This record gives sequence, structure tokens and C-alpha cells, in this order.
Amino acid sequence: MSGPSTAFKGYIKYRGYGHVAFLLHRLTGLGTLLFLLIHIIDTSFVYFWPEGYMHAIALYRSTPFMIGEIFLVFSVIYHGVNGLRIIYFDMFRPDLWERETGKRSVIWTLIISIVLWLPAALIMVRNILVHH
Amino acid sequence: MQVTLKIFRYNPEKDSAPHYETYTLEAEPTDRVLDLLEKVKSYHDGTLAFRRSCAHGVCGSDAMRINGVNRLACKVLVKDLGTTNITIEPLLGLKVVKDLIVDMEPFFENYRKVLPYFINDEPPPPDGRERLQTPEERERFDDTTKCILCGVCTTSCPTFWADGQYFGPAAIVNAHRFIFDSRDRGAQQRLEILAQDSGVFRCRTAFSCTEACPREIQITKAIAEVKRAILTGRLD
Repeated sequence: MSGPSTAFKGYIKYRGYGHVAFLLHRLTGLGTLLFLLIHIIDTSFVYFWPEGYMHAIALYRSTPFMIGEIFLVFSVIYHGVNGLRIIYFDMFRPDLWERETGKRSVIWTLIISIVLWLPAALIMVRNILVHH
Repeated sequence: MQVTLKIFRYNPEKDSAPHYETYTLEAEPTDRVLDLLEKVKSYHDGTLAFRRSCAHGVCGSDAMRINGVNRLACKVLVKDLGTTNITIEPLLGLKVVKDLIVDMEPFFENYRKVLPYFINDEPPPPDGRERLQTPEERERFDDTTKCILCGVCTTSCPTFWADGQYFGPAAIVNAHRFIFDSRDRGAQQRLEILAQDSGVFRCRTAFSCTEACPREIQITKAIAEVKRAILTGRLD
């Protein structure tokens, strides 16, 4: 039967190119949203609780958070590139929603995202190594 | 070769919860998964329940999840799976009646909602014969005439897993078949139905439906065409 538990089971167990792209889109979207919410809250501390704000900034400079930021950059890039792919296909070229083209576009989206992400990731890794 | 089948089992009259049972049997690489299920039922466990009818990919009865992907058991050869460990589970999003049999009624209920039949109250042509259309007009909806209502697409859709009210790919495909038929006059009615909350705009373009369809219908494309028809009001 349909419902949240069925959806969760499907997310975990189903296979396929489209499914992977859909899952990644969801995860990267939720990850980015989560970070954005946390960031809005900690920025609001400037007015309400300045010490808390300074504490949050110090936390962002810790190694685990800096590693998290590397994945955050990937999330933003992948979500953006895949979103553009979907908008382009769905609104302008429905004929590209074809079995083989669809599969290839999923792979290309991943490749483009990684290529765009790698330079930023390398700079961020270098910063972690230099500062810590 | 020897294959290991891990099959989802659930008899609501006896079992408190679903479980999996494993069967090891001899198989040919050219055996279909349906052949293996028949072997299990004939020689290992007669209580195993699954649907099958034509066994040649036409009736759509034996839709199930095979190694995590929706397929017709009669169209999957063992050698094409790339493994000898085969997991077989019922379709997701529909209530399990027994083992691999699911209740298809919610699926057909959604199908009926899109008016999947010819609508035209205009008088027939003066010669009293059929309403003609050009080969190009016929070609416009040819792809979506191939649907066999097996349910593989709808039950591979993450939106349907979460909300059974969503019409699902199969219903939209069958609406597409009539919306773009030049002889039909019910397009506007169908587009209004499909523009509702549970209609085409719930599609998240996961593309699993197109990948799974045993008839190779370009389902996501058909859904995108219906979306466009709703947004532009054009049926070109």
C-alpha cells in the first residue's frame, strides 16, 4: 500500500538510472535545505545572541564542518545541474525523455557535476590541510 | 547452472509478517524467471502464489520486482540478470494479497478516472463508415496504444509509492492515447482531470516508469506532452 513507509522502502530497494538521479536530487535538495535553515538560524544570532553567533562561526571552521561543506558544494552543484536537465527536457524537449537518451543524460549530469565540483573540492581540501 | 531464488512470501491468513524463502534449483541460462517460479511451485512449494496468464509478454499478469526492478517475469531471461542470485518481490505501492499477488484495484480505479475510452458524440460520417484520420494523425498517439496495463510503470513511481491518489504513469499514458487522437472529442475533459492535484504535475520525472515499461513506451515523454497540452491548451 502507498504511504511514507512504502516510499522509503522503494527509495532504498529500487534500482535504475532514473531512480538514482531522483534519489540524488532529493538527498542533495534536502541537504542544501537543511544547511540553509541552520545558516539562517545561526546568522539571526548576530542580533539575538552574539556569543552564540561567534560560537557557530568557530564551529564552521572545525574540520568535520569543513568536510561537510565540501559535500554541500556538491549538493548545490548536482541539484542545480540536474534541475536544469529536468527543466530543459520537460519544458522544451519532451522528445529527449527517451529510454537511451534519458539514461545517458543521467550519466552526463553526474559527470558535469563532478567536473564542476572537483576544483572547488580540491581548494577546500587544501584549506583544511593548511589550516588544520 | 544453479540459481538461488529468494522469494517474498506472505499469507495474511497464516503469517503475522512477510518473510523471504530461499530455493536453490537447476536452471538453463535461457530460462525465464517465470519458468523458475513454475518450477518452485511444481516441485518445491505448491503454496507459492503468483499471477500468470499468456506467459509471452502480452497480458501483463506476471509483473513483479526482480532484483530490485519492476519486470514481467515472462520477459526476463536468467542470463540477462547477470547473477545467479535472484530476489523476487511483489510490486510496491499496492496491497499484497498473497506472496507475489497484489490488489490491482487501486491501479484500475486511477485508470478509470481518466476516461480511457473514445468520446465523440458527433454524428458518424455520411457514408456511415469509420471516422478517418491520416497516417500522421494516427502516428501521433501510436506509442501509447501499446500499453497492456501491467502496472509495472505506476508501481515503479516514487510519487505513487508515497501517495496512491496520484493517477500514475499508466493512467496518464492511456489518457494520452485518447487526448491526441484526432477523432476523439474528450481531450479538454481529460486535461481538466489531469490538471488536478493528483494529476500529471505530481510527476517528478524520476524516469523509472520509462526504464521499466516492458512495451518500451516512452512514458515520461507522454507525460511531458500532456503537461504541455495543459499549459498551452494546444494538442499539436
